[in-house]
Amino acid sequence: MPAVAVLLGALALFALGYRFYSVYLAKRVYALDPDFVTPAHTLKDGVDYVPTNKHIVFAHHFISVAGAAPIVGPAIAVFWGWGPALLWVVLGTIFASGAHDFGSIVVSVRHKGRSIGSLASDVISARARILFLLIIFFLVTMVNAVFAVIIAGLFIDNPSAVLPVLVTIPLAIGVGQVVYRRRTAALVPSVIALVIVYACIPLGEMFPITVDPVAGALGVEPAFVWLVLIFAYTFFTSRLPVWMLLQPRDYINQHQMMLALLVIMVGVVVGMNTIEAPAFRGDLPEGSPSIFPLLFITIACGAVSGFHSLVSSGTTSKQLDKETDARYVGYVSSLGEGTLAVCSILACTAGIMVFSANQGMAWSDIYVDWTAAGTGPAGKFVQGVAGFAGNLGVPENLGVVFATVVVVSFAATSLDTAVRLQRYTIQEISTIAADKASEGGAVHRVFAFLTRSVTVSTLLAVLIPFALALVPGNFAAGTLWQLFGTTNQLTAGLALAVIAVWVTKRGRNPIVVLIPLVFLVVMTSWALVVQLMGFLGSDDPMQRFVLAPLDIAIFGLAVWMTVEAAIALRKAFAGRSATGAKDTADAAPAEDTEPTP
Amino acid sequence: MNTGHRGAGTSPLGRAWHRTVAAWRRVEDFHQQVFDARWGHARRREARAQQDTLRALLMLETLGVDNPVAYETLDLIPYMVADLHSWHQRLGRDDFGAPGGCC
Repeated sequence: MPAVAVLLGALALFALGYRFYSVYLAKRVYALDPDFVTPAHTLKDGVDYVPTNKHIVFAHHFISVAGAAPIVGPAIAVFWGWGPALLWVVLGTIFASGAHDFGSIVVSVRHKGRSIGSLASDVISARARILFLLIIFFLVTMVNAVFAVIIAGLFIDNPSAVLPVLVTIPLAIGVGQVVYRRRTAALVPSVIALVIVYACIPLGEMFPITVDPVAGALGVEPAFVWLVLIFAYTFFTSRLPVWMLLQPRDYINQHQMMLALLVIMVGVVVGMNTIEAPAFRGDLPEGSPSIFPLLFITIACGAVSGFHSLVSSGTTSKQLDKETDARYVGYVSSLGEGTLAVCSILACTAGIMVFSANQGMAWSDIYVDWTAAGTGPAGKFVQGVAGFAGNLGVPENLGVVFATVVVVSFAATSLDTAVRLQRYTIQEISTIAADKASEGGAVHRVFAFLTRSVTVSTLLAVLIPFALALVPGNFAAGTLWQLFGTTNQLTAGLALAVIAVWVTKRGRNPIVVLIPLVFLVVMTSWALVVQLMGFLGSDDPMQRFVLAPLDIAIFGLAVWMTVEAAIALRKAFAGRSATGAKDTADAAPAEDTEPTP
Repeated sequence: MNTGHRGAGTSPLGRAWHRTVAAWRRVEDFHQQVFDARWGHARRREARAQQDTLRALLMLETLGVDNPVAYETLDLIPYMVADLHSWHQRLGRDDFGAPGGCC
């Protein structure tokens, strides 16, 4: 199968999804009102609530949701063949992710731009807020652990990429200073910074940086040293003002992401490479996990991701100029993320076979077993991108460094953001725990201290994933990735439950939201049970005594969420029957609507 | 290129130059908004927190705390008045100033 046919086919289906399905959602399910006055206007404060052009909000939303995750998940999931991964990405993006991201924005806009966690406590139950915080805690812990492992692995495999990545840090600080101290527009300094980063790629080839001497002197593995350095870096980054490093670095990385997408797409079209992997892999090696249910948690971002609801209801909904902009912003961003996942599938099934180190090998020799698929997934994507870049005349060694820099930059930005988010989550959980604990007791004092101390809560946000990153022993991302997938899908389930209850209360048919909700809950719970069996059956004490209890805790959250969602939906349907509300905007409860000035 | 952009607005080359500059400014402006869109709110919050801290230090006496450098910082008070209402509301005080009244 030609890679270009798959790419164009997926893009065509995405276009149809936007043209028809998003319109159906906008009119029949979410009933967007062009005259509705959004919170960006009614609560305008110049800080959080700022009416913004829809193209700018789209750029913000897409950049915030697209990261390393839609690259890594598909890079592992093509183990079962490119067909199932592609089907899940395309169908999940059109029918689940689109409805989820779009719906999260709309519900938040209709509730004064409040976050999905805050809405869960109102729309579902007061307990749902604690449930939400716990799910986010696990989700972000997994994100931090797995991305740190991925970065460490890439640095070890490609020491030439270390210099260009390191150079990004002082360059970003320089851009921040120029933009905010000298009041210069960001475009020129950030493009210059990007050029310098790429100029450092050949330099990185000449001066590869490794931590082997340090690791040797300390008697530890190089991955351990990298993990220490990465988490130390994220600690300081999350404590710095955002304008100083995070914002300019993120902006430089955005240019890299666009460039990488362009290289892949043009490389696919120019190279006319063939997908060498089987569409459906029938001859799975012995001991391989079943495609059901693991495919649906291996690819979370790229098909449907609960993390997006945090962005949708956190910042996007507060900037929306018109309610009708939600369709463009939410749905098209989902399609963009799906496109990134499709590119990852193509890189790992077509581009990877053009890579010189893999010439003469069969694709199944690379994805020889499940462990091989889960070890270094980002490295496989890197090889694939280097293969596509080769179609454009880029030397392979430079293509490898280019792709590594892109993936590391993505993952590092996600880490920076996630550590900051984890700190907020820890402080919020501590506030609730301190309120519930008896005044003056030791428990109250500890949680009250955590609430107050930004440094200690940040330290916890760094140390917990650091410990988890060490657990698998071989620094393989695969096991942690699946636990990350389950928590991500649980977050999506909770957001979909909030959307479904809201849609039901407004007298409209929630079936298109309920289907992905039930699907995710079933697949996630099933996957958690399968994983638990694997952990308990393992000889590795870390899997039995660390990952198994973690799995049980996440499973408990899944059951809790299912019960809460079922109760809330039953009440919503009962309330609708009692009032006789039926498919009209007038059926909206009074508290859902913003006052119109 | 025989002219600068000043005073060259009537010649075709001058008009083309102006159009190019205007297009560049639009691109630059769009990018600036994209640059600000993701982290702008966080940056503005941090700036507001710093401003609030400064305001609290300068207006210690309004909070019932003696300010030993009140005389030296008196000149800065007018600059702190603009957002006084939203500031005391963020502090958790609905009213500010005379009892029964507000700023």
